[in-house]
Amino acid sequence: MKKTILFLATALFLLEGGASKVWAQSTNFTGYLRNYTGILLKDDNDFAIMQDTFDLRIEHSRGKVGFKANPYIYFNHNGETEIDIRQSYMDIYLDTVDIRFGKQQIVWGKADGVSITDVISPKDMREFLLPDFEEIRLGIQALKIDYYLGDNTLELVWVPVFTPTTMPDADSIWYRQPDFPITPTFDYSKKDVTSDLKSGEIFVKFSAITSGIDFEIMAGSMWDDDPTLHVQKTFNSTTGQLSSITVTPEHHMLKLGGGSFSTTVGGSVIRGETAYYEGKYFKSDDPAVTDGVMEKNVMHYLLGLDFTILDVKMSLQLIEQQIQDYDEQILDDENVDTVTFLINKDFLRETLRLEMFSYFDLNNDGSLVRPKISYDLIDGFNIIVGLNIFNGTEGKFGQYDDNDMVYSKVKYSF
Amino acid sequence: MNVLKKRVLLAMTLMVVPFLAVAQAEITGLKVIENVYKRPVGDDMLGDLTMTLTNSRGEDRVRKIKQFTKDLGAIEKKIMFFQYPADVRNTSFMTWGYDEAGRDDDQWIYLPALKKVKRISSDSKSNYFMGSDFTYDDLGDRHPTDDVHKLLREETIAGNPCYVVESIPKDEEYMYSRTLTWIMKDTWIGLKKEFYDEDGDLLKILTVKKYEKFSGLWIILQSQMVNTQKKHTTNMELKNVKINSGIATNKFTVRMMKRGIR
Repeated sequence: MKKTILFLATALFLLEGGASKVWAQSTNFTGYLRNYTGILLKDDNDFAIMQDTFDLRIEHSRGKVGFKANPYIYFNHNGETEIDIRQSYMDIYLDTVDIRFGKQQIVWGKADGVSITDVISPKDMREFLLPDFEEIRLGIQALKIDYYLGDNTLELVWVPVFTPTTMPDADSIWYRQPDFPITPTFDYSKKDVTSDLKSGEIFVKFSAITSGIDFEIMAGSMWDDDPTLHVQKTFNSTTGQLSSITVTPEHHMLKLGGGSFSTTVGGSVIRGETAYYEGKYFKSDDPAVTDGVMEKNVMHYLLGLDFTILDVKMSLQLIEQQIQDYDEQILDDENVDTVTFLINKDFLRETLRLEMFSYFDLNNDGSLVRPKISYDLIDGFNIIVGLNIFNGTEGKFGQYDDNDMVYSKVKYSF
Repeated sequence: MNVLKKRVLLAMTLMVVPFLAVAQAEITGLKVIENVYKRPVGDDMLGDLTMTLTNSRGEDRVRKIKQFTKDLGAIEKKIMFFQYPADVRNTSFMTWGYDEAGRDDDQWIYLPALKKVKRISSDSKSNYFMGSDFTYDDLGDRHPTDDVHKLLREETIAGNPCYVVESIPKDEEYMYSRTLTWIMKDTWIGLKKEFYDEDGDLLKILTVKKYEKFSGLWIILQSQMVNTQKKHTTNMELKNVKINSGIATNKFTVRMMKRGIR
């Protein structure tokens, strides 16, 4: 509570011009207030979310340097208040080099809503894939150096401190208990990655835009954002029956290389993206493997097409994740195929937008369909009403079949 | 005046008139439009653009953009930074347009919420720019060879002698069936333009309200587009104009799209 009051007091002080006039003149304060209400469509119509958000962006620049800070508060209907900083970084602009250091969100690749080479900033999965893009992506402490040569960029990122995926709490409607034959014991002794110089993540990317095609080539050495669950089983020596399970979550190092491109053909944009990950772990039924997991390499790729028919904009993406040197004992499918489809159209001079974004899980006949209506009552005041419809019984989307939801977002940007 | 002088004057007039007639005959609709297309606007330009959108109920919406343009010979590069309203602030839009007839522009948009630059199709030229009455194509330099031009007549608007040129697109699918443009003879500025829809009905009227000379070049500072069918108006005003200020080529890059105005 004290933090909230301090945050609000600071924000009001700055917005009212309490800071020195000279400083305020070259500082931009923007942000938004938002009410977000979600109601489950199943019998009890529980509130899945009822939240007010205050999101403030403070930007200041002076010649070759600048900074940005993005503090936010979530006021949740259950009384919980979350206050944090999404990004806070400083920039140094030199002739051909930009240096950014601090907490930042880094986005790579050409895919929409799918992470293939876009692996630097981990995700906040407390509400699955539903939050807005800026909210689902976690800021990370990083040093980013961009070297520019014409329309080409060489980018180097060093992430000294590992940040894992944020998972939902056990009482969340988005939490799914890992499936074990008996109640396991969790050993969290290996869950944390050591914070030292040699444990950092490093990424490099070369990107170019030309009059015909844009492309990126990247490589990285990183920790898997999701922990591998190492499982030790103990059997009763007399009966031979399973007597205990110890689960040890542990993050493993990955190496990856990949690239992406986008180009225009006629009136359409074709996009592609691929990455090869070395050192992923998968659950296995093979009793001979250590800890019930197998290490395999993975190829992940996407082909996308953005096109317009009768002023209706559409975007189709075909995605496949392929486990290399597949073993039949692995519980995951060898190939995981997903399709995304976006369709939208603007009306009333871009004040009204109808949109639907859908994921289709072809392996499990599951899907997430997200239609929404967005209306700008006046400039900077936006109302969204939408649905999140999960279909199927298992898999990434089908497992949330009970979480169908209608929601509204009322947002005032300033 | 004595008889000799009259005869000499008559002879001179008779000699000059055919040349004037030839010069007049050489002006064609295509030539007029080519002169408009080639009208020098400087090697580079920057300015603050304000668009005021007024609907049939008289309600206004305002959009503010900072724009930079640079002519690199066969390529014209343009970058726009959206400043207002708040929900589009820091969005930027870059276009590389080519003199080569029939070659599509390259276009990119930077959306700060997505934190990435996306290549977009230039096929959306018939879409309206930020909800205004200007389409993307209205704002660009349409190549003279895209239409068949015919000089209809000469008229005077607000004391300015103008050529009136009818332009019919070669592409039958184009959003306008024809346009009529009133082009000033002395400046090659299109002072007025009428746009006709696919049914041949008047759709929009563009009127140039203010133009000034900067560094010896004529620049349009205020224009108004009225959609006569929907009773919607867009007033466009360019301020803080700088011509030939030596904008660096590296202004028109992904780096600047992401960084914004500094």
